[in-house]
Amino acid sequence: MSLKCQKIQRLLSDYIDETLSKRQMRHVASHLNACRTCKREAIDLKKTCHLLENFYVEPKASDAYYARFTKTLQQRIEESAPTTLHQQVHGIGARWTWQLLARVRRYIDRCVPSGFITVRQKVLPYYALVAAMMALLVAPFVLQQMPSDENGEHALGHLYTVAKARLFSTSNSVSRQPAATLAIQQDKATAQPAEIRRNVSRNRTTETPTVDSGSDVWQFTDDPAAEGYILATLRKDSKDTFPSVALNIDSELLTYAELPTQGAPWEYPTAREFLTDGRYTVLLLQGIRSGQHALQEYKRKWSQFDGFSRKLLDVPLETLSITEVYDSIEL
Amino acid sequence: MERTEALLIADLCEGDETALAPLIEKYKRMVYRLAMQITKNHADAEDVMQETFLKVYRSIRTFRKDAAFETWVYRIAVNEALNFVKRRERRQERTIETTAEAEFEADLRYRVTRASDPHVHAEKTELRRYVTEAVNSLSLKHRTVVILHEFEGLTHAEIASILNCSEGTVRSRLHYARKKLRTLLKPYVDAGAI
Repeated sequence: MSLKCQKIQRLLSDYIDETLSKRQMRHVASHLNACRTCKREAIDLKKTCHLLENFYVEPKASDAYYARFTKTLQQRIEESAPTTLHQQVHGIGARWTWQLLARVRRYIDRCVPSGFITVRQKVLPYYALVAAMMALLVAPFVLQQMPSDENGEHALGHLYTVAKARLFSTSNSVSRQPAATLAIQQDKATAQPAEIRRNVSRNRTTETPTVDSGSDVWQFTDDPAAEGYILATLRKDSKDTFPSVALNIDSELLTYAELPTQGAPWEYPTAREFLTDGRYTVLLLQGIRSGQHALQEYKRKWSQFDGFSRKLLDVPLETLSITEVYDSIEL
Repeated sequence: MERTEALLIADLCEGDETALAPLIEKYKRMVYRLAMQITKNHADAEDVMQETFLKVYRSIRTFRKDAAFETWVYRIAVNEALNFVKRRERRQERTIETTAEAEFEADLRYRVTRASDPHVHAEKTELRRYVTEAVNSLSLKHRTVVILHEFEGLTHAEIASILNCSEGTVRSRLHYARKKLRTLLKPYVDAGAI
């Protein structure tokens, strides 16, 4: 087959659909008149399309099936609808607010020359303005109602002081770390880190990973990956190494291993050094939101698990911003 | 008085749940067809349908009024179905399915070759079955494009927007899918059984 025929045959599908430009249509047609092989190919493709058009059986369901489906869907919608009084009030409030905002939008649409505002996003500043004005109106009444403490300091002012202290304090860097890390570090003060064993529950229901430092149970109450963590599971044998996101970790037992905090960057340990034969190590990585270059790069290679884990093994832990390393005996 | 689609969408946006039922009524067959063709499984298709309409209900406020509602529903349904199949494959079924698909394809080719003597087996029901099986034997990417273009009648641009890929990719996938179908149904194509 000549090069020209190859080029033409790539266009045949579009030629049949008549989606080529007029010039291309003429070009292909003139070639088909001259080349029997390509003409045969075009005819065959056209016949295939006709076969599909005339003989393909589309799946169909009975009316009873659709009736059952609609009923189930209705039930699911109702189930997902607010149930408690508080939720119902919240839902009604949200709906009314939305309707109010929709009316405002329509009013603005009417006032402004038609076509000027067509996209809802463009009126968002107006919504924000209305909300801000309402907040300003309501705020004095709310502040009057709030109690003051014995120093005469207003509760809101106290809240502000506490928030400021937590957010901008440089002496307490732990306060800027997420809940899981914080709790682990608190625990380190009272226990031997290498011996701490924690039971990771499969039940993940609330927002952030939390640790009950009083007991020995560490409950992942949400998918840590969604909170800016990656949990990578590694094994020393490179053939079997694989990282996994938190959802795939069904381990019940994780052992805490302490990271050295001193030394030059080139002396930082790598994940490989933490591994012993036949053991898994679970790394709790932090940094998706902190914009670490290394982690972003590995995130891109996330789909290539094998390569990812192999590279991950030799990367200094410090570079990856690994906050905790867990060595698990049995995963 | 029957409400127009635009009115139904506007009402649904404003929290009127009664507007959902007519929209479901209008699009349920289309969504079922798509879900069934992509997942190739009745139970999975029902799950995809449920998820699609729930998503329509929950995300209706994000729908841009300048876009076509039908294309939006198509996009949700196709993506739900594709995600469903991908999740299913991820659950360790990938190898099994690939092997099964290869076997199925080989078997189909054998049966078509055997039964394609147009003088002996000219029955249309048989042909219908083979054509349907041939489409089902295509890979997920190729099957999706064929379904959207050949059976749903969407343009290349619409498919590209639904699948979030370029028009060139859609054209290329369609071309390869047709070539593969031609190979699978060669005896019928050669015999001109149309």
